Amino acid sequence: MSSFQIVSASRHQQTRVLTDYHASLGDSLMYAQTFPLEFRDIQSCYPIFFIKDPDSGQFLAAALFGFEADENLFLHNRRWDASYLPMMIRRHPFLIARQGVDPASPENTQPVISIDMDHPRVNDSQGEHLFLEDGKPSVFLQEAIELLKNIHRAHQHNENFQKVLLQYDLLESLNLDITFNNGSKKTISHFYSINESALYSLGGDALADLNKQGYLQPIFMAIASLSRLRPLIDRKDGP
Amino acid sequence: MNDPITKIVIVGGGSAGWLTAGIVAAEHRISNTTRSEGFRLTLIESPNISTIGVGEGTWPSMRNTLEKIGISETDFLKNCDASFKQGTYFKDWTTGTGDAYAHPFTVPHRYADINLAPHWLAHSERPGFAEAVCPQTHLFSERLAPKRITTPEYAFNVNYGYHLNATKLAALLKRHCIDVLGVEHIEATVTEVNASENGDIESISTDRTTPISGDLFIDCTGSRALLLGKFYAIPLQQKSHILFNNSALATQVAYPEEDAPIESCTLSTAQQAGWIWDIGLSNRRGIGHVYSSGHTSEDEASVDLINHIESLTTASYAKQVSLRKLTFEPGFRQKFWHKNCVAIGMSAGFIEPLEASALVLVELSAAMIAEQLPARRSIMDIVAKRFNEKFLFRWERIIDFLKLHYLLNKKKHLPYWSDNLLGSSVPDSLKEAIELWRYNSPWHYDTRQVDDLFPSASFQYVLYGMGFNTAPSHTERKTEQEAAKLATSLFQENAERAEQLKSSLPSNRELINKIKTFGLQKI
Repeated sequence: MSSFQIVSASRHQQTRVLTDYHASLGDSLMYAQTFPLEFRDIQSCYPIFFIKDPDSGQFLAAALFGFEADENLFLHNRRWDASYLPMMIRRHPFLIARQGVDPASPENTQPVISIDMDHPRVNDSQGEHLFLEDGKPSVFLQEAIELLKNIHRAHQHNENFQKVLLQYDLLESLNLDITFNNGSKKTISHFYSINESALYSLGGDALADLNKQGYLQPIFMAIASLSRLRPLIDRKDGP
Repeated sequence: MNDPITKIVIVGGGSAGWLTAGIVAAEHRISNTTRSEGFRLTLIESPNISTIGVGEGTWPSMRNTLEKIGISETDFLKNCDASFKQGTYFKDWTTGTGDAYAHPFTVPHRYADINLAPHWLAHSERPGFAEAVCPQTHLFSERLAPKRITTPEYAFNVNYGYHLNATKLAALLKRHCIDVLGVEHIEATVTEVNASENGDIESISTDRTTPISGDLFIDCTGSRALLLGKFYAIPLQQKSHILFNNSALATQVAYPEEDAPIESCTLSTAQQAGWIWDIGLSNRRGIGHVYSSGHTSEDEASVDLINHIESLTTASYAKQVSLRKLTFEPGFRQKFWHKNCVAIGMSAGFIEPLEASALVLVELSAAMIAEQLPARRSIMDIVAKRFNEKFLFRWERIIDFLKLHYLLNKKKHLPYWSDNLLGSSVPDSLKEAIELWRYNSPWHYDTRQVDDLFPSASFQYVLYGMGFNTAPSHTERKTEQEAAKLATSLFQENAERAEQLKSSLPSNRELINKIKTFGLQKI
């Protein structure tokens, strides 16, 4: 259930947003979508895998938080236990909507920040205010607006990424076979990762093409992120 | 005699010619045509002669064939109006009063280890055989697809072949063969077949080129069989005394709306003297009536077909459809490979499309030639002998299997159907098999060759779909109790798997639409 409203001082003077992290706030997610522009920050904490969108079969990049649906191994005492939080996690309960500026030309729209009033973070008694007493946006809201702009930029930069990865055969399917300390086993077979042998056999022209589009660094960041898989397994195994 | 075989000439386009070209060229690298040595593949196609244009169902083998040729499944589905075929659904073949059964493309559950047929037969209260032993059958009534948008090209969740527009398939293959694989295309009409001293074909004369020479000639000229039939006079072995159908009336029927459901299998509905096929492509349905001119007239057959179309659409729509008449001689050549000429496609033979066997025979023929391409003329006769043995056996098996569909009918009041029960119309091999099956359900011992055309499971689906009874074992088998327990759990597993598939697979229409928008991924 979502109920998006365009954020305005008149409507949302009293609205407040909880900023802790907990299952009750919708944070029990196995993964969140991430983008090449974000890979360098993501790789410091989370393994990056590629998965297919179930509705379209198109590839998207995902930062992994657990090994089962709804399992987030970073949630601890109402905090998110990592030094970097993915953009698509931090953005809740906001969204960019497009508002028409001229009824005569419906394709003329401008981006406006909206809030999901049904989101469990949204309430009128606890957490960050959206507006100051004088009706000006709070620092919290300003930062949210900045974040949504970054997400938009990341989406645009991401548009060609799948096509380019497939063009150079840089994606391969992967079977993860994990045995946890308690003896239980898990096989994940619908993940994809960067095909390193294909990458290392690319010639100068291909590498320059990737670099020009800003995709070369993220590809290596994705590879580096795989070393975060072991720590994630350790998180599940516990002390 | 020691000359290497390096130049292959295919005479005739259509799906037979272009599939053969694609299969051979995908296996053997074609040299630059400016050089005089090296492997060369030429296809001569007449711009005047139209192809048969109705061969529209395939077996699952077509997935591997297209992948090997190098065609993207997304391109194929989009360009050939194709949809997914998961088997055939037979209506009114047994009693004609609403009976129906399925022949799906998946063998019964755990077929390698256990024969479920006797255990199914042991229950008096039971679902249909194909429903009890195969989860795929349950997808048919809801027109569900055999895979998802996230399943890679040519991979499956349940096994499938295709329904396709054969004319468009030929066009797609032609472009690929010429542009990517290096096949030489000559648009000309054959005027003369020229013999060499030893009786081989030396060259083909046409109306616009100098004679085209070759080492091996592949006859894909359809029922005209210009090379094998006309030039070499290899006769057709007639089988019309076994399979009576020799005529067809074909048409195309529009869907009521763009997003109408697409069937998951070929529908085959028995008629008074034949049967009606219904093949659901993505943009329209191909519907036709295959019948015996010895048992009904063209007028009556038309009426039956129009009535059938009316039941699917409206009276006014049915009245305005235009029917195309085709006739054929059911049978196959005495041999397929003679000297340096081999026939593939309708030139090799033809029978009614009851189990969509025409295209798979093209695939298998071309694959054998590609794999076993004789290195020298001195080897060719040996390969030809093996080819003939293998394909004569396969044709006999097809005849037997198709006849089985007719042999189990209970419509003695109709001349066509009772004539089908006459002993003179039943091959001895089938008579023997049926006798045996009264006591032993077909299973692994019924597979006579490693690469048999029909798995023994196919016989099971037809036998038990049509109410045939195999008696229980005449002795008490020591494994009986354990097997019965396993069977019960497998029937249960089958039902669960069916539910799981039904809830997780999209409809054919939904999947085809998504493929048109997003395409299928290669990985």
